[in-house]
Amino acid sequence: MWFFTATVLGLLAPSLAAATNATTPFRVALPSDFKPAQVFKNTNVVRNTNLEKSYARETVNLVIENIDKKPQGDYYVPFPADVFERVGGFEVRDKKAPQQGRFVVTVTEPVASSETQYFIVHFPEPLAPKSQLTLGISYSLLSSLSPLPATINQNEKQYLSYRFSAYVPSAYQTLTQKTKLKLPSTDVPEYTTTEGLKSGADPERKGATYTYGPYDTAKVAPGTELPVSVRYEYTHPVITVNLLERDLEVSHWGGNLATEERYWLRNNASQLTNQFSRVEWTFASYQKAPTCAVRELTYPLLPGSVDPYFIDDIGNVSTSRYRPGTAKTGANLEFKPRYPIFGGWNYSFKLGWNNNLSSFLRKAANADSYVLKVPFIQGPKMAEGVQYEHVVLRVVLPEGAHNVRYEILEGTTSNGLPGQNQINATFSSLKTYMDTLGRTTLTLEVDNVTDEARDSQLIVTYEHTLMDALRKPLTIFGGLLAVFVGIWSVGNLDVSIKKR
Amino acid sequence: MSLIEAWDAASATPFHPFVSKDSQFAVGFNLLMIAIILTGLFGLNRSFLSLASLGVPASVLFGFGAVFTICAVGVYV
Repeated sequence: MWFFTATVLGLLAPSLAAATNATTPFRVALPSDFKPAQVFKNTNVVRNTNLEKSYARETVNLVIENIDKKPQGDYYVPFPADVFERVGGFEVRDKKAPQQGRFVVTVTEPVASSETQYFIVHFPEPLAPKSQLTLGISYSLLSSLSPLPATINQNEKQYLSYRFSAYVPSAYQTLTQKTKLKLPSTDVPEYTTTEGLKSGADPERKGATYTYGPYDTAKVAPGTELPVSVRYEYTHPVITVNLLERDLEVSHWGGNLATEERYWLRNNASQLTNQFSRVEWTFASYQKAPTCAVRELTYPLLPGSVDPYFIDDIGNVSTSRYRPGTAKTGANLEFKPRYPIFGGWNYSFKLGWNNNLSSFLRKAANADSYVLKVPFIQGPKMAEGVQYEHVVLRVVLPEGAHNVRYEILEGTTSNGLPGQNQINATFSSLKTYMDTLGRTTLTLEVDNVTDEARDSQLIVTYEHTLMDALRKPLTIFGGLLAVFVGIWSVGNLDVSIKKR
Repeated sequence: MSLIEAWDAASATPFHPFVSKDSQFAVGFNLLMIAIILTGLFGLNRSFLSLASLGVPASVLFGFGAVFTICAVGVYV
């Protein structure tokens, strides 16, 4: 398991919030003429591109070999600079031993000469000369699918276009490679064909799967591109959350975990050619015809979630339905935005609910220590997927919590989040109701996340003493006692008019 | 010890608040009521003895009562 831990040093002084061990994503600066040394060779590369959701999800399996005379521990994965900023949840594992966890990955600044940026994969142990390693690389490409045509009529089918290089971008020589595209439908009016690169048709079609290659690229220079594109029917919304702010508020006194999420959402589907027609929309909704507008969102909540609310800039939105479910099945919040969100339209709203804290918080063996386990991200569960450009998660701990440490859980498969060094962590203090010092707050910021990260979990440990817990009632006690003492002392003043 | 191990090790001790959610309003309301009554009694006789015997308990009860009541109405502090 890979984990990340940060520590806030003691909250002995009231100015606790100043105690921070913040981490900021770090980027390696490279020389302007940088090119990775040719110390590896890709023996075989298989790229699987899944376009069934509204973003591209790629897994690249490659067998690499160290062709240098010395052991090598860093492998460079290149992306064009404009694509690089939209790569989400980049993860590399040893394909043959995924349980060993993800490799440490660092990112680089753009190289001026080539406009290429690299992910540098650091192997746990350098790869010996002539040794081979099978890597499994997975990532999402956000905003990689563009509607073509860009504008359509309200009830028209939508087509998305995906452009990529049939040669997998690589900093090293590749012997053989192929790319499998999994499309959401068999309605594919256009796709690039190649000639002379392999025997037989290229791409090979099998239902909704298109395979480019295998190509023999032993004599192709590293970094060579072979631009191809595919255009396919996709009459679903392209849900993009520009910003998600998610607050988790822990209350020991209330025994409650309050969750609130604020969304700034945009549909990046084809825009409307003409004015929106309410009549056409009503017909289409009645027939449940496919549409590229966001009609309704379904949000699965954890078992025991209560008091849900759905609010936008105007106020409460009444078009939501909450299905509490059972203790085992969990709940579902089905909510319709105030208006259908067509391509290019925006909608911002707020969701919130409460849970009993006992399901998420445990008292550790050490006195005054607590362990909190909460979902890092939840979000609507939609067949077409949801992409988040920027996520800000705030875990608001009780006032006086100190020695805070956190860890993002990793399993044997990708949790959809980038590596720990790409998550910005800060500690601060938040003053709200009945606070004197302010509540210890852990803020985690991450870019380019998709709904693949829905199952990711965050564990936070902290210490909270009895005196920390009693701070609120004692503060009120002190205030009221001061009033009583004031009344008593004022009552004892002799203000009568008499001779002294 | 990694944090997931700490979580697993603490499986037998889930957190329980002093007062459960269902009882917060009753407890908070009663504490506040007693505090208000004691405050009224202190108002009748503002001696030092009253301050110690009525004012101090009223302050304590008001402190805890206010915290439970604000939780009961949905502002979880």
